[in-house]
Amino acid sequence: MKDLRVTVLSNAPIAAGVNQMTFSLPERVEGLRCGRFVNLSVGDGAHLLRRPIAICEYTDATVTICYQIKGAGTKLLSQKKAGDELTCVLPLGNGFVLREEERRVALVVGGVGVFPMISVLKEYAGTGRAFCSYIGFRNAASVCGEKAFRAESERVSLVTDDGSFGEKTNAVAAFFADFDKAKPDVILSCGPAPMLRALKAGLAERGVKVPCYVSLEERMGCGVGACLVCVCDLANGARARVCKDGPVFEIGEVTL
Amino acid sequence: MADLRVNVCGVPFKNPVIAASGTFGFGKEFNEIYDISVLGGISTKGLTLEPRLGNPMPRIAEGYGVILNAVGLQNPGVEEFVREDLPFLRGKDAVVIANVAGRTIDDYAGICARLDGLVDMIELNISCPNVKCGGMAFGIRPESVKEVTRAAKSALKKTPLIVKLSPNVESIAANALAAQEGGADCLSLINTLTGMVIDIERRRPLIANNTGGVSGAGIRPIAVRMVYEVCQAVSVPVIGMGGITCAEDALEFIIAGASAVQVGTANFTDTLAMPRIIAGLNDWLDRHGVPNIEELRGTLRLNG
Repeated sequence: MKDLRVTVLSNAPIAAGVNQMTFSLPERVEGLRCGRFVNLSVGDGAHLLRRPIAICEYTDATVTICYQIKGAGTKLLSQKKAGDELTCVLPLGNGFVLREEERRVALVVGGVGVFPMISVLKEYAGTGRAFCSYIGFRNAASVCGEKAFRAESERVSLVTDDGSFGEKTNAVAAFFADFDKAKPDVILSCGPAPMLRALKAGLAERGVKVPCYVSLEERMGCGVGACLVCVCDLANGARARVCKDGPVFEIGEVTL
Repeated sequence: MADLRVNVCGVPFKNPVIAASGTFGFGKEFNEIYDISVLGGISTKGLTLEPRLGNPMPRIAEGYGVILNAVGLQNPGVEEFVREDLPFLRGKDAVVIANVAGRTIDDYAGICARLDGLVDMIELNISCPNVKCGGMAFGIRPESVKEVTRAAKSALKKTPLIVKLSPNVESIAANALAAQEGGADCLSLINTLTGMVIDIERRRPLIANNTGGVSGAGIRPIAVRMVYEVCQAVSVPVIGMGGITCAEDALEFIIAGASAVQVGTANFTDTLAMPRIIAGLNDWLDRHGVPNIEELRGTLRLNG
């Protein structure tokens, strides 16, 4: 984990209200992995909190993130130009880890949850695994990241809430409709809380015993595990830090 | 190299920069970024006798130049702290300050007795705005400030007592005097100011707790004024905090009369804020030909 001054290389829209930013690292950073995140300053002095954003792609010298322009902070980020400098703490969180025996991987994804999943696809491409991807968006204008899923998945179901792109359904329903064909050894999921709740309920209803890992989102303070701002409830009654103990948790371990 | 050492009620600090309670955990996480032995001191996350889960989420929001938090004293309890975290902190070359809170006067006395002699200083949190009982409830009126301070002080045989004051009061100087009369060896201020941010679409407060404690760069002028007023009122040393983000900010508090400073929210904006502030203090003193930071303390001259 390092706090570095990074340089924006590119920053442009890729879908309605979603930008992709690539920045260069001033030095080699250990531990860049899929499902981990960066905590990026917005660099104006008025917004004191950094913005935690999932790593989408990385090389030894660059990191690419994609972010929804939602509030004042992400709006400021969207105005950064190539050459601008920002400070960034990275890499943070635990990330997704696939065990050797987990060969068939189902990805159940909603909205901007596609970006951490793209990091999974990129990292595990070429390991001989079969990915089945079930991706839901609000509408056709918000569809993004499709290419990466098509390139690396054995099966892809891309659906929208309003039917303006693909079938009119949601990612969880599409996943369960295809479950027998996907035959997953492991399920990875990232998306809005109602989607994760529906996935958890669906798994319980069908008695699915396949391990399932979800990436959670929460408003963060320090981002490094010190301030206890971004906690989640665990099934055992305790609380865990989303930034440090997560953001990836086994779905049965957390109360969604 | 300027001399940054300060002495606060008999406790030597190698520099006056202390991590503020609640922003730094027990130091382990920030120690992954830099060696926290460079710090003058560390005030721990607020501890209670029993573990606490704290408030519901979300616990944080932003204003212009400020943040609001309502964590609500989530902590593992004093026994786990003593077992799991204190040995790590003791292994670092920084003054260890245990920030403690309770629901009752007996809780405060009990946790002070438990930590007496185990830490370098105890900071009595009677100013947390985010818990319903305890916390700020004791910190509002001078009578209860004095009472809880006296109970804590009588439970301590070895460890000096800091009382952390709330700014959400009629007169912070009156409460400072009350703490001094109750036996406080030192005072720290300011804790956060109570505030609210509203999501106008949902017409609800952004923070689950509705209100939160406001901190960050935007509150610094209020904090400097309060530290000055308290330094004028009491004879015990004062640790100043509130919106410090750089060495120049820290120097305002020292010139106003503070012996040392705490840095909180700036750790979120810049994880390296405190090492930078320490280096910046040294640079400023060298540039101004001041050999010793203690020479600056309380040197404010009012206009007119």
